[in-house]
Amino acid sequence: MSARLSLAGLRAHPENGGLRRIAGPEDAEWDAVAVETAEADLPALLDGGLAVLLDAAPETPWQQDAMLRRIRERGFRGVAMPGAGAFDPGAQRLAERLGICLLDVQRPIVLAQACWMLVQAQDALTLSHVRKVARSFEYPARDLSDLLRQVSANLGHPLALVDGTEVLHSSGGVLDPALHAAIDFRPWVDLARAGDAAAASVRVDSPSRPGLRLVVFGTGLSESQLAALSVAAEIAMPAVAARILIDEVAEVNDVSASSALLRDFVDARGLADDDIERRMGERGWRTAGHHLGFRMVGRGRLDPLPLLRAVRAALGGIAAEAHVTTAGRGLSGWLAFSEAPDPVTVERLARGLRSLHREVGRSFAIATGVGSLQRGSAGLAVTLDEAADAARIAASRSATGWFVRVDSLGLEQLLLAWTGNDTFVPAAASLLAPLQGASGDLLRTLSVYLDQESSLVATAAALNLHRNTVAVRIRRVQELLGVDLTDPETRLAVHLACRAVLAPAAGDGPARREHGILGA
Amino acid sequence: MAWRLRPEDVTALARGCALLGSGGGGTTTMLELMLAGDGSGPRPLADVDELDPATPCFGAAFVGSTILLGERLPPLEPFGHLVAAAERWLGTRIPAVCSIEGGGLNSLAPFLFSGERTIVDADCTGRAVPELDQMSLFVDRVPGLVFACDSGAGGVALVETDRAVDAERIVRSAIIQAGGTGAAVLAGFTVGDLREHAIPGHQRRALELGRAFLAARFAPPAELAARLGARLLTEGRIDRVSPHRADPHVQSVEIAGPGGAVDRVVTRSESLAVLSDGELLASAPAIVVVLDAASREILQVTDLGPGRRVVVLSLPAPDWWLARPERLRRVLPSTYGLAELDAA
Repeated sequence: MSARLSLAGLRAHPENGGLRRIAGPEDAEWDAVAVETAEADLPALLDGGLAVLLDAAPETPWQQDAMLRRIRERGFRGVAMPGAGAFDPGAQRLAERLGICLLDVQRPIVLAQACWMLVQAQDALTLSHVRKVARSFEYPARDLSDLLRQVSANLGHPLALVDGTEVLHSSGGVLDPALHAAIDFRPWVDLARAGDAAAASVRVDSPSRPGLRLVVFGTGLSESQLAALSVAAEIAMPAVAARILIDEVAEVNDVSASSALLRDFVDARGLADDDIERRMGERGWRTAGHHLGFRMVGRGRLDPLPLLRAVRAALGGIAAEAHVTTAGRGLSGWLAFSEAPDPVTVERLARGLRSLHREVGRSFAIATGVGSLQRGSAGLAVTLDEAADAARIAASRSATGWFVRVDSLGLEQLLLAWTGNDTFVPAAASLLAPLQGASGDLLRTLSVYLDQESSLVATAAALNLHRNTVAVRIRRVQELLGVDLTDPETRLAVHLACRAVLAPAAGDGPARREHGILGA
Repeated sequence: MAWRLRPEDVTALARGCALLGSGGGGTTTMLELMLAGDGSGPRPLADVDELDPATPCFGAAFVGSTILLGERLPPLEPFGHLVAAAERWLGTRIPAVCSIEGGGLNSLAPFLFSGERTIVDADCTGRAVPELDQMSLFVDRVPGLVFACDSGAGGVALVETDRAVDAERIVRSAIIQAGGTGAAVLAGFTVGDLREHAIPGHQRRALELGRAFLAARFAPPAELAARLGARLLTEGRIDRVSPHRADPHVQSVEIAGPGGAVDRVVTRSESLAVLSDGELLASAPAIVVVLDAASREILQVTDLGPGRRVVVLSLPAPDWWLARPERLRRVLPSTYGLAELDAA
């Protein structure tokens, strides 16, 4: 027969009156409890019991010795009283010798009450737990972990919210993995044990997050304590489920607000707008200082909200102030610095973003672009823009692991990105169409000529031609196109058209295209 | 029956007195040296019954710190001026002397008067006690007692009172004034008073005890106890000496007894009680003797320190204390405010 009361069980009980073992067996167990004012009033017990005394321990060592002896002679195997901590070392030795568990208790009445609940009044124990859980709901919790913290603190036992593989939240203690593994996820209520540790868990009925359980756990809990705690878990469960839902709604609201704000900011292109500044300030988004923008887009259909959750969790690994929110079919975000970071730091952070991309990429099909380091409010808009462009490029770049970073040398890629769109390419092709049919490599000559700042000599050298040949070809080009290449507007248009038409198809670019892009 | 204390018996008598000191009363060495050095031969002792009951008598004792007495040597005739003062006060010569504290060095004090006064074989306590008002004559309220004592710089204080506690307090103050230790003389009683209100035959008992001790000194503890008529209470190593919070003079000497028992000797000026595993084995007025386990030296309470191996014995209490409850009340541990140590 297992004893009804154990030292471990009393220790696990949150309101044990400040119980402390002073001497005697660590694994003490008792079948009965006697509560009296003074030792002289104790009854004689046949079996080993625990004596709870309200009077303070005697002062002199010999009185302590004598009291322990008399308590043992009455059949008790344990005694708890105020001031037992000050027992003479010799008296403590005697307690060990007599096999009496000597306990110091600050508030013996509270201990007596705990003993009564644990031994005789299971319903009272359960009711006291339920009351404590109810008390936790009196104050509004900020979020789920705050709610768990309040319930755990009021209940006096650690709590955890777990799924089959991991602990999502815990408060008041750490759930032992062995105990976690011992929990059966099928029944409504489950009582599990692993070694000294025990857990009472209840299924959490949450429509958005199936497979969760709310666990109350501790060490040394008796069956009755565990059963009472399982009721407490049942009472707390609906609040936890509701809180999960509330937190999700709040999160969606918050994300959509921040997303709208970022859109407004980017639309204003970093120009001063008091309202936007204020709203950004409220979110803790500083526009002063230096920024490194990044953007993640889905390579296909993607719900940005789960992606945002994953990225937010993973951003903790990057040693910089980071902000991120959803934007369109992806996320936009940036790292912020009050002082300009040195190039080594920037490279390290870029690598960090890359590994973040890889990590999140395991669960989501994404492409990530990273902008260049920019300064101030306008700079934030610029780097976010750059990141968006880079992400657009990255979406077609499996070769670079769907990751592209723009630095100062990557403008060419930007140019391509802008000019490679559906409206510009046909326009460019039709502008240069007269050159396609003509003899001689007029298109290529024109392109090199414009690249070489309209220098005939440099063009001739680049193409390995005589300069007169080049001069003739350029004249023909001007005739065929009917344009004046000395006009800067015209030059720019023709130059862009050459790039667009001569650009090889996306995705199979030669080495030149990698120039300025930190590829895989 | 009159008897003589031979010079070669002084050591045995001194050991007996030390045993009856119950760990207090001071070491007898000083008095042994004084007695050895006075060159007198056998010292006659008279039994109480042999003398005229009307013979005036006085008792002599050192009062105060016995440790100080070892550091500040007493004069060769420490009591002469006090006896003279008492005689002047009482108006008569006092021909007889007895001891007033039967344990420790004071038990030997009457022998300093040998050849000069009649030494009566009687004592006023039968053991060492800490306070002057515990003298049997005070306990039994014998009227007309006079205490004379040193008050420093050769001065004498004399108290005549029927309230015993006054004698204790005034003499104590005077002795403190005299430097913490000094001599005192109790007078104003007769040899007849000693028959009922003291312990006759004490010196003889001490001598027999001392002889037995010297004969069996290095015998196994149980045998030694048997030879002394004592109970062997415990033997072991002193683990710890912890002072009592309420009274720093009280100490609990914890001994790791046989088989790991938690044994304690509770001491004040003397060893007052012995417990084993919380059970009271002996307590005052029974006499507790603590011996060094190896040297068999009779230890004073101040000698009990951690690490020392000791043998603890108890000798029966002098019957005089047990005869009447009002006597017993004056010598139990509870007299000194110590709870739960009185033998039931």
